[in-house]
Amino acid sequence: MQLASVWNLLVTGTLRGGLYALMAVGLALIMGVINVNSFMHGELYMIGAYAGWLAHVILGFDPILSIISAALISFIVGVLMEKVFFHPLRRKSGEEWLFNAYLVTVGLSFVLQNIALVVFKPVYRGIPNYWEGSIQLSPTMGISIDRMMSFLIAVVAIGAFWLFLRRTKMGRAIRAVAEDARGAMLVGIELNNIYTLSFGLSSMLAGIAGAGLLSLIPAYPTMGGVPLAKSWYVVILAGLGNVRGAIIGGFIVGMLESISYYALGAGWQDVVSVVILILILLVKPSGLFGSEVKGVLER
Amino acid sequence: MHKTHENTSAIGLGTRLLARLRSVGLSIPILAFFVMLAILPLFVKDEYILRLLVISLLFGAQAMAFNFTTGFINVINFGFAGFVGLGAYTSALLVIELGVSPWLGFIGGTIAAGVLGFLTGLLTLRLRGIYAACMAWFVQIALMGLATVNVDLTRGALGLVVPPLGSTLHTAPYFYILLLMSVGIYVVLTMIVNSNVGLAFRAIGQNLLAARTSGVNPTRYKVINWTIACAVAGLLGSFYAHFIGILTPDMMHFKHTVEVLALAYIGGRGTLWGGLIASFLVTPTFEYLKPLMAVRLIIYGFLLILVMMVYPRGLSGIIQGIGKRIKGHGEKGTARKTETGIEG
Repeated sequence: MQLASVWNLLVTGTLRGGLYALMAVGLALIMGVINVNSFMHGELYMIGAYAGWLAHVILGFDPILSIISAALISFIVGVLMEKVFFHPLRRKSGEEWLFNAYLVTVGLSFVLQNIALVVFKPVYRGIPNYWEGSIQLSPTMGISIDRMMSFLIAVVAIGAFWLFLRRTKMGRAIRAVAEDARGAMLVGIELNNIYTLSFGLSSMLAGIAGAGLLSLIPAYPTMGGVPLAKSWYVVILAGLGNVRGAIIGGFIVGMLESISYYALGAGWQDVVSVVILILILLVKPSGLFGSEVKGVLER
Repeated sequence: MHKTHENTSAIGLGTRLLARLRSVGLSIPILAFFVMLAILPLFVKDEYILRLLVISLLFGAQAMAFNFTTGFINVINFGFAGFVGLGAYTSALLVIELGVSPWLGFIGGTIAAGVLGFLTGLLTLRLRGIYAACMAWFVQIALMGLATVNVDLTRGALGLVVPPLGSTLHTAPYFYILLLMSVGIYVVLTMIVNSNVGLAFRAIGQNLLAARTSGVNPTRYKVINWTIACAVAGLLGSFYAHFIGILTPDMMHFKHTVEVLALAYIGGRGTLWGGLIASFLVTPTFEYLKPLMAVRLIIYGFLLILVMMVYPRGLSGIIQGIGKRIKGHGEKGTARKTETGIEG
């Protein structure tokens, strides 16, 4: 294996890792705070990608502004979803609501995908790049500025989110609810607001992933399927509801996948993923960074 | 004198037979439904409608197997389409590569899906339900990848041509074979559900902790349930292979799992017959709406959401509600075991 191909593996692996980490963090947040298994995360990513495309190509916004507007739109979509579907469900279904919510996310994913199909038609809506030019480290090893920026955006988004969770009052409230919802309620945290906020933030992170990687992965109605599967893979690998684990796990899976893709080709790469997951579940079922989530044995 | 005696014994025999049938889930309405299906091909000669009936029955039977897991032990099999596909490809490849009879292929497909189901279940069912769901999903993705990549064996996306079951080109024989299979599956699953094992399933599904404290080993029963459902998926997949005649990896796509899931839920979670009846309503309707393209899938998704949000007990809940109201006038307060599933 030549140095250049090792370099390429590293670059694509890290980029994929950034995408998976962004997606998985949002998923882990919902898992940890609300305990809902979300299967519409891939569609929120798709919404982000379309929003980014609309802002950049149709409205002619500059790259950073496009990504910010995509983030805002997906945040709003997330909030609306929570208010329209999950909030009433939580009030109505009582104990069963988690399981019902889980299925509603499946239905919503199906609906959103097909709405995109009707609105945007099955056409790839991509852009060649947000930024031009590249940095050459040597004649064979280089990285385009566009990819570097995508990666930077992922890192900045994750970093900002991390700081938000750690340093702000609202972030602390979210963590408190994740740890013990009833206790948090007793000290005066409004649970409904936290749930809505978490939903919004989680979909915002997915939206940033979609818009930030638009130059690599064009917007398409069914584009959410693969990132959804991968982010679930990361979340299970890292431990359910574990945000820190999801970040590290995202990069591990991204790298792993690039290597197995290089060595074995598509198709087998999925088999490798399953085999690794089997090994981990055999040895350490709570995940690599085993976390404590409420009611670990339940549902 | 002698004659009346004979009469009463005949009636006694009849009631005993009915009671016997009811204990395996074949209560009068269900029996009537199956009989109606059985005589339908005598009147319907249109091949297109017959094929539609086969597809509806196939989806309904899949929804039954799906509900057997989801409705009773509260675990969703997200890789369901993968197990169906494994059964289909196993049966097809056995027939093509080894030249065995399709009937042996059916057995092979069932065993293959059952074994894979057993292994994934053994690994993940001691954990939260989401682990089994996701594991099955990843296995399905891997199977789909393998079917796409191994072009030498499966011909990948080009499609594997599968020989039919016999020399006939008509659909009616297929319909009868599938009907027999479906009735068989229904009866077997109902018997399991009504047995002590089924009681354990329900206990686990309703309250895991209480089940554990009363000495039920949840993992064991979950694995039993999961394996049976996967094996049934494999059996139905084998039939699908020989009926449809061509297999592509796309048949294992996640969207097909969602279709079966939606049917199971529209039919009503925790009943076996709900999905079957729902399939005969939903599948032809959506076939009819085919010109609407993606819009019908939006409707489909919304239907699932609507059921979940407004009436989680689904079609069977509505039917049971009506049935109870009718019965309420006749025999009041006679507590009887429901045919299948969770009541209330």
